[in-house]
Amino acid sequence: MNKSTLPIVARLQSLQTAARFAPGKERVIADARDRNPLAQLLREANETMLGRSLRFSSEGGPSLTLDVAGRRVLRLSAAIGLAGAEACLNAETLEDENKDDLIKLLQAVAVPRHELRVTSGPIGRGGEGVSVGLPVALLADLLLIELNEDAADDEETAEVVHEAVQEIPDDGIELTGDLLARFTQQLGDTLVASIIVDGDNDGQTSGPEEMVSHLQGFLSDERESLDRQLDLVAAEPGGPICILLGATLVEGHSLVCARSGGAILLGVIEGDGTKVVLLAWNRALR
Amino acid sequence: MGVTESLGAVVKAFPQARLVAFADLSSRMILSSAGTLRTTQEHLDLLCNQARACFDDPLFSLSVEAFGEPHGAVVMGSDSVRLFLRSESEPADALCCICDHSIDLAAFVEKIRETLEGITHGG
Repeated sequence: MNKSTLPIVARLQSLQTAARFAPGKERVIADARDRNPLAQLLREANETMLGRSLRFSSEGGPSLTLDVAGRRVLRLSAAIGLAGAEACLNAETLEDENKDDLIKLLQAVAVPRHELRVTSGPIGRGGEGVSVGLPVALLADLLLIELNEDAADDEETAEVVHEAVQEIPDDGIELTGDLLARFTQQLGDTLVASIIVDGDNDGQTSGPEEMVSHLQGFLSDERESLDRQLDLVAAEPGGPICILLGATLVEGHSLVCARSGGAILLGVIEGDGTKVVLLAWNRALR
Repeated sequence: MGVTESLGAVVKAFPQARLVAFADLSSRMILSSAGTLRTTQEHLDLLCNQARACFDDPLFSLSVEAFGEPHGAVVMGSDSVRLFLRSESEPADALCCICDHSIDLAAFVEKIRETLEGITHGG
């Protein structure tokens, strides 16, 4: 393990992830408690987009090396301690006729309740941009394995699903003006100070003069850099976007900044912004 | 509970959360993610960069000057809602989430805050 790897390993360990390293730069992907190491093997392959050579070894002794790219198993490049590997080894690229043999080899190396390790290296014979080989998803389907770990976890005790489909009740307020004007209307008293610059409502302010003046000064000085910041999170440059930024978002004060059609709203939210801002934005968007 | 399990628990509890990812903002890395949203590495990198952008100037400085250092950001567009929360004790630790507009944001923020602190403190 080289020096640059150590901080990452330490980080992963501190996070209590499943990642564990064994001597020889091998990474443990399933341990003796794992009932389905084959699922972990396929997930490793499925998460490999760029061409890599993955060597899977079982603590029982057998190992196999797969060339993998783009969620496809391109070829079997090595097999140790496994019978019946010849057909796959001889195939330049794995095809449909190899899938049954390959599955048997995978099952032989990924034995339930045996530690399974993986090492990753450069791919042997190129694999960038290929569209051949066997899709990992196909192998997973044949083996009835769910590649998405979260879906696979469904059998475990789940928390009560939070049914949070939040209705947007019609509160009877007739919304007028452009998006930003409608947004400020919807925020109501929660918006303790605000200013809109540019657009149809240029110069519209609310709240104490001292706070408005501060917001106005900020926009005068930072308008260009603010637009650049908003562009970094907007779907498209200049596109409509709203940011709520705060220490906790649920208490004290938070900043709200919204942009639409070249106009900018900058304001201060008091209290729990999470209860009102999204609802107000959704209503204003309608 | 490990990171993966913690993130999985969030998306189970809030189906409107389509992606919940744990990031190290200092190294610009998404370390783990869960959710139904299909993402590529490029999407995850973009999400991490958006989190950094939210906690950057000029809004960052304005917030610090006025109310203190921000640890939470909600970004609302026309198609999704993104929530970024930084740990108060380890500011590089962050959860980055993409949600539907129908999510109960108040309850979700509470859950994410609790999850983040649990991850940061190894709980």
